[in-house]
Amino acid sequence: MRRAFSEILTQCAGEDDRLAFITGDLGFQVFTEFQKNYPERFINAGVAEAQMINTAAGMALEGWHPIAYSIASFATARPFEQIRYCVAYPKLPVVLVGAGRGYTYSTSGVSHHAGDDLGLMSILPGMTVVAPGDPNEMRHLFPQVLKLRTPVYFTVGRFGEPVYDSDEPIVLGKARLVRKGSGVAILSVAEMVHDAIKARENLEAQGLTPSVYQFHTIKPLDTTTLAHLAKSHQALIVVEEHVPSGGLWSAVCQWAATAPDSKCQLVRLGPPDAFILGNPKREELRSRYGFDSVSIAKRCQELMS
Amino acid sequence: MSVSIPILKDKARAVRMSCIQMAHDAHEGHLNGSLSCLDVLLVLFNNWLVIYPKDHRHPDRDRFIFSKGHACTGLYAVMAERDLIPRKLLAQYAQTDSPLPNHHCVHSLPQLEWSAGSLGHGLGVASGVALAMKRDGRKARSVVLLSDGECNEGSTWEAAMFAGAQKLDNLVAIVDYNRVQSTDFTDKLIGKIGLEEKFRAFGWNAVTIDGHDFEAIEGALNCAPLNQGLPCAIIAKTVAGKGVSFMENQVLWHYRTPSVEDLDRAKAELQAEAIY
Repeated sequence: MRRAFSEILTQCAGEDDRLAFITGDLGFQVFTEFQKNYPERFINAGVAEAQMINTAAGMALEGWHPIAYSIASFATARPFEQIRYCVAYPKLPVVLVGAGRGYTYSTSGVSHHAGDDLGLMSILPGMTVVAPGDPNEMRHLFPQVLKLRTPVYFTVGRFGEPVYDSDEPIVLGKARLVRKGSGVAILSVAEMVHDAIKARENLEAQGLTPSVYQFHTIKPLDTTTLAHLAKSHQALIVVEEHVPSGGLWSAVCQWAATAPDSKCQLVRLGPPDAFILGNPKREELRSRYGFDSVSIAKRCQELMS
Repeated sequence: MSVSIPILKDKARAVRMSCIQMAHDAHEGHLNGSLSCLDVLLVLFNNWLVIYPKDHRHPDRDRFIFSKGHACTGLYAVMAERDLIPRKLLAQYAQTDSPLPNHHCVHSLPQLEWSAGSLGHGLGVASGVALAMKRDGRKARSVVLLSDGECNEGSTWEAAMFAGAQKLDNLVAIVDYNRVQSTDFTDKLIGKIGLEEKFRAFGWNAVTIDGHDFEAIEGALNCAPLNQGLPCAIIAKTVAGKGVSFMENQVLWHYRTPSVEDLDRAKAELQAEAIY
């Protein structure tokens, strides 16, 4: 997804001469094309995330459209106050890009885990929070968030993620139908969409067809689609690579608490409220904590039988 | 038209008294830091910053970020004295829904470039502004006034490093070195190496001046940038609570607001009335 991000970033820079890219000294050999084409608009703030954000804020004050980029854990938690006070509060058009969110860097230790990034960013007033599931979704959503001209947190995966197929258009703020079904709907966010699709494929052999919806936009939440799903399904399974607070599960529960007459059962599959020790591989981690495709399929079976 | 030193001195007594009156009326304010940076503010607003009073977003204006938000009575009083905001607004300081909250906010006072209250952001944002203006080929300057307490913040030094590396010679940082913080004295907290040396080590040009000497303040500002390619730091040695004998150099007056008796004593010492 990062190559695709580099390409779309360079393309957007070609269409908008106020776009500037500020990195916290990350993205080695990823942004060569951008750097070559737009050297004046490529800024390396160094390993100084606070300064990366405040540089972006200052440039935004002057009418620029800065993109600030770092690894998700360093992009969000480290300069949180800068994002809150210098971007969100003045409502500046800064797009913060967090690369490798969730447990992308599961083997690198807790320092690199970003299982709380969506929550940290969603809690900020006026922030739009978007976590695409594949390079295609990323490529379509990035130009859309750029046009907002308000604070945005946008995540980008790593390298080599597969592309999934769906006929639905990719629209910011709109949940995307991935597989049509009945009984249970699986709601995925970010790259969890792939496990959701795989679970559905495994279940089809048994004649079970849960719906799959991708909620790439966590904030603002597509409550219209949610209301429709809650009416048409007996249970919604939220699958997220995020701690229980602040992610898609939290957002869905917040909505459900005030939703009129919702009798739909809500289920969460995701990592626990814990720092994940032991440096498991990402797939191992998902399996250990019960939110890989096998666990999703099993939960669907239980709910649908 | 440059304002002469005797007139600046008269203005200084009146804006000092205004700050004290505002803090008294609202029971809010941080007088130590407001009174210490007033002389620098007066020179900036009267004789140095390029300002367009009728078009505060004019592209050629100097961008001024007042980063020590707790000292905003000083900023408000100087802006009012310069007729950039109505003088009668000072009476609304720190009232509910006032344009002049007790840490300034661009949403309520759009004449400002930037809000403040949380320390350590001003220099970073001002460096982003300076970089953008360089990219845009603007001649205007990015000017930021910091407190010495803000120099405790790591983000201030991330910004200093960045501005040095990016050679932002359109950036001027003035540190109000009043040597008093919220609970203790600055030098005790930041160690013996002076601020001028610290900024120099980060690739800046730096000078230390008497921050109550109008001639020295204007002289230092007029020299910026001291060298092409280097951002400029002016360390203004000031006195916390300057101008009122019982407030000067007292940590207590970081937070304390004046009683009726304090107000009368200050008035007698300053021989001035508030401007509102």
